[in-house]
Formats: sequence, structure tokens, C-alpha cells
Amino acid sequence: MVNDGGQLYTMEGVAAGLIMLLTAYIVISTTSVYTPGDTHIPDMQLEQLGNDVLAMMDTPDRDGEESQLVGFVKNVTGPCGGNDLWDEFLDNCKMRAGDEDDNLHAQAYLSYRRSDGSVDTTPLSSEDPEFTGRENTVRVTRWVQLPVGSPSDMPPDVETTRPQAVLVEVLLWRA
Amino acid sequence: MSLDFLAGFTIFLLALIMVVSMVPGLLAGLESSGIDYDAVAYRTGVILAEDPGWPVYPPWEMKTDAYKDEIERMGLAVSKETPNILLSTKVNAFFNDSFFAEEDYRSKAIFGDIPYSYNFSLSSGGVLLNQTGDTLPPGYGYIRRVVKIKEPGVAVINDSFASQYTSSSSAQNFTVRLNFSRLLNASIDPAYRIDPRTEPVNVTITDFSEYLNGSCSDATLKDVTFWKMDPTTPMPRFSRIPFSYNTMDPNLYNLSLDGTPTDLAPETKVAENITLVLKPAATSLFTLDQNSILDIRFTFEDTDYPHTNITGIHHYDYNATNVTRPDLKPAVLEVAIW
Amino acid sequence: MACMNEDGQWIVLMGLLVAVGLFFLALIINQSALVGQTTAEGVLEFPKNDIRDLREAVFDYVDEFDHEEDTESKAVRDDIIAISLERKNAVVNFSVGDPEDISGRDLHPITIHYNNGVTEYDETVYY
Repeated sequence: MVNDGGQLYTMEGVAAGLIMLLTAYIVISTTSVYTPGDTHIPDMQLEQLGNDVLAMMDTPDRDGEESQLVGFVKNVTGPCGGNDLWDEFLDNCKMRAGDEDDNLHAQAYLSYRRSDGSVDTTPLSSEDPEFTGRENTVRVTRWVQLPVGSPSDMPPDVETTRPQAVLVEVLLWRA
Repeated sequence: MSLDFLAGFTIFLLALIMVVSMVPGLLAGLESSGIDYDAVAYRTGVILAEDPGWPVYPPWEMKTDAYKDEIERMGLAVSKETPNILLSTKVNAFFNDSFFAEEDYRSKAIFGDIPYSYNFSLSSGGVLLNQTGDTLPPGYGYIRRVVKIKEPGVAVINDSFASQYTSSSSAQNFTVRLNFSRLLNASIDPAYRIDPRTEPVNVTITDFSEYLNGSCSDATLKDVTFWKMDPTTPMPRFSRIPFSYNTMDPNLYNLSLDGTPTDLAPETKVAENITLVLKPAATSLFTLDQNSILDIRFTFEDTDYPHTNITGIHHYDYNATNVTRPDLKPAVLEVAIW
Repeated sequence: MACMNEDGQWIVLMGLLVAVGLFFLALIINQSALVGQTTAEGVLEFPKNDIRDLREAVFDYVDEFDHEEDTESKAVRDDIIAISLERKNAVVNFSVGDPEDISGRDLHPITIHYNNGVTEYDETVYY
């Protein structure tokens, strides 16, 4: 008869192995640690900032006056037009105590409804040369109502013979 | 200590770990910190920028030291319909850190279970306007809110009104009239409303020399009195509001004659300018409602003969020539939590 | 094992305790990250600013057109509905009723409907 005095060692080894495997499994399956990058916090902060800035640009400084944003959109190509909207938007976003928050970039678009009912989107400001389309951007929007005759001469298929509601869209990102 | 014990203990602990990790609710109440600083900063930012605070009327910013406990929440917005429009009186009250202690900021603005450190700042055009809290360590939670600040209007009565408000047969009474039913008209956006219940009323008479009688170099301001009328009662008439006219109280009003502060019954000669700032704390003592009419009456009296021809009623209202209302001022509210 | 010296087992036990302690710490850090994530996702997902903006757009519409239905007001209304659907992925509708006397003021009852698939919002507001 073979001496079976060693079987206990085998069983202990198997048990220890199982326990280790189980522990590793539980640890890996439960403690996938999120990095702050996964948590969308910078996106949330950026979106709030962009929305605040658009809302404040759409608030007239005095009762009954036209808001800055409406003025910019009405006069898309001229001075105080799309590029100034973009400029003013970024200036407001960068504002903080102390130095400016310099690494913010933005790109403004205008969405409008054509006479055939389809919706088109056109750039409102000149393209940011560094914009590749792969940035992690947030999109903030604001409704603007325009009277007859605006926006002035751009883009061609915007109906200017009737009052209309258009959507100002701004992509905002950090680079 | 035997092997059996070790094995049993290990199995027990593993089971415990599994139970704990499978019941997330067990850890939900656990006070975690670190990454949630941003979340707390966001929440505090929302409370400050989008909420007028509680109580609303009388507003929290008017609470004195004795009633500080009645403040439930400190919000800076003008009203709940106007997010991101801050009222300057609320801003000034909020950043008064000799009135509010650290604990007040924690319990009335941050609402955290653990004592967070904080830094609030308000700046406009790169200039820091207000700031409270500690210096920032690395790794704080942060939110930035772009806001506009509403500042109170001023009725500047300068020489351009001289012909309108002088009369040789005058009683030497000059009245500034606040018609609450007109001021608090609900059709006016709260962001642009003149509300004496929450904002100071500022009456400034400059170029007073233009209102003087002929060769006189000054006139004696006997007193400034407050009168009210409720037009909804039968036979409405103005009655003098009982008030501590002889006590100087910068929390209730500021009256200065040619730059010298005084009480409301100065009987002092004035040559150039009169400035009266009536604080909302005083207006709340007058028990006015939204139909009342409040008169601020400046009475001049000289022993020999009338030294001034000033008379008339100046309406404190939305007319831009009567009251200069400053533009909403763009600003940035920053909240840092750690 | 029977004849082995087992005096050193406390070392193993302590090792185990330390391991368990580390495990709990890892769990706590994990949960705190989730707190930040859920808050940020909650904020991003809930279209608070969109709804506020839509309300203001509707109020602007009422300022401009009152409650009248003509080709111009219908066009602006269609603009809002079409652009919302196309660019914001939100089904939006609103209607403006005849003015009613609400505590001395003539106000329009406005019903606003908003649904972006995650959040549905309905409101009747007097403006």
C-alpha cells in the first residue's frame, strides 16, 4: 500500500490555488478604478461654461434692448458678425480670476430651416486652423429669433423674407 | 492556531468581501472625497448662480446677526426666473466674511456632510471683485459660472432738472416718489426691475447751487422724512412713517451733505450736493406692499428767508432720465472645493 | 502537516488582514470615482439648459406673434420643431392659447412638450 500521508499537502495546495484564483477574480471584477478622464467631469464643466456664456450673451444689458447674440447673428458676414460672435464667446469663456484660461477653442455654426423644410448647418465663424474634427468637443446651443431681412446676405438659401428661428451651435474644446 | 482555523477564516473573509462588493448600497453612504469635489463644486455653483436663496421675502441677505439662523440657503440670483443674473446686494452680503463664518458657508451654500474647504471668487474683466476662502491647494474641485451682476439704479438730480424743480413761491419741499405698483409691475423682467425691497434706493442731488435762491450760497436742510400712502384704502392720504429719524444707522440709510454723513434731521447748511441711500432694511420697516406709494421728502427751512427754490416731485421709476440704471455687468463666479 | 511547526501562521494571518484592508480601500476609491461620474453624467444627460433655452425661445415667439396663427408664426414654430428634431434629437411641440386673466394680467397659457428620448418634459406656463 502506498503511503497516502502526502495527500493533505495536495489538498491544501488545491484549496490555496482555488482561493487565490477566486480572490483575483473578485478583485479584478469589482475594482476597475475609474480615472478622472472617464468620468466626463471636464465635459460637464465645459458644457456648463458654454451654456452660461451663450445665455449671458443672449441677455440684453438693458431692458428692451437687443441682445449681443442676436446682433451678431443678424449681421453674419459684416463687422459685429459671426467672427465677432466667436471672438466674444471665447473671451467670455476664458474669463476668470487671474490669467485667462487660454487653451479653449471654439467653432460656431448656424442651423436654419430651408424653404423645402430641410435643416442645414453652416459655419458662422472662420474655421479654426487646428480643428481636425477628432477633438473631444462639447456642443452648446442657443435659440435666436430673427426679424425679416436677416441674417444679412449669408448663406444664400436662408429665407430672409420671413421672421425665423435659428439655432446657434458652438463646439467648444480644450487643446 | 491551526490550519483549520486559517482555512475557515479565509473562506469567511472571502464570503464577506463578496457580500460587501455585491451590495453597492452598503458603501453608498460612505463619505467619499477626492473625485466628488467637482460634483460638490458644481452643486454649489448652481445654488449660488441660479437660486435666489431662502427665505426670499424678506430676503436672506437682510438678516442681521440675531436672525442669522433663519438663513437656510444663500443664493445670489435675482429671482428663480433669472438664472445667472446676480443681485449686487446679495453678492455683497455673501462675500462679507466678517458676518458669515466658515461654518455658515458650509451649511448654507455647500451643503456637504464633511467639512469641505472652499474658495469663492467673483471677478469681472480680469479684476477680482470679491473673494472668500482659503488659498487653493493642488487637486481641488472647480466650476466656473459666467454671470451678470445687476446693480441698483441712482436718481441723479443735477442742474438739468433745475428749471423743472424750482419755483419762487415754493414751500421748500422736494419729494422723491416711489410708486410700488409701477416699480414692481409683474410685466417687467426681474433682471431689470427696480425693487426697493431688495435693492438700495439712491437719490443724489448734485449741483444744488443751481437750486439756491439768488445770491444765497447755501440752504438749511431741516429734515428728510418718509411718507406713505396706500391707494387701495378709501380716501387715501399720505401719512408720515414713524422712524428713528434722529439716529444715524448705516445699516438703514446713509445721508451725506456735501460729503459729511449725518442723520435724517440734520438742520445743517448744504451748498453742493445731497446723497441719500435708503437701504432695503429700512424699506422693510415701512410695511409697504405692492400698491403703496413711498415719498421721500426733503424739507428745507431757513430762519431768515427761503434760501432755495427747490420744489416738486421726482418720480423714481423706469424713465431713464429720472433714474440711471447701470447695465448688467458681466462677471465670472468661480467655486473651488477641496 | 501534522508534525510541522505552525508557530509562523500569524504572519500569514496578518498578511491576509493587510490584503483585506487594501481591498477595502480599493473599493472605496472605486466608489468615490463613481460618485463623480454619476454626477457628471447626470448633469450631461439632463437637458436643463436645453429646456430653459426652449422656454425662452417660446416666450420670444409669444412676444413676437402673440397667440395668432398665421403663415409667419407657423413658419417660426416649424423652424423650432424641425431644428430641434434635426440638431438636438428632441421632439418638441408647443401651443399658445387665448389670453386669460391671471390675477389682473392677461397671460397666454402655453403648453410646452419636450422629449429627447431620455428626458421628457411637459409644462403649462402662463406668459
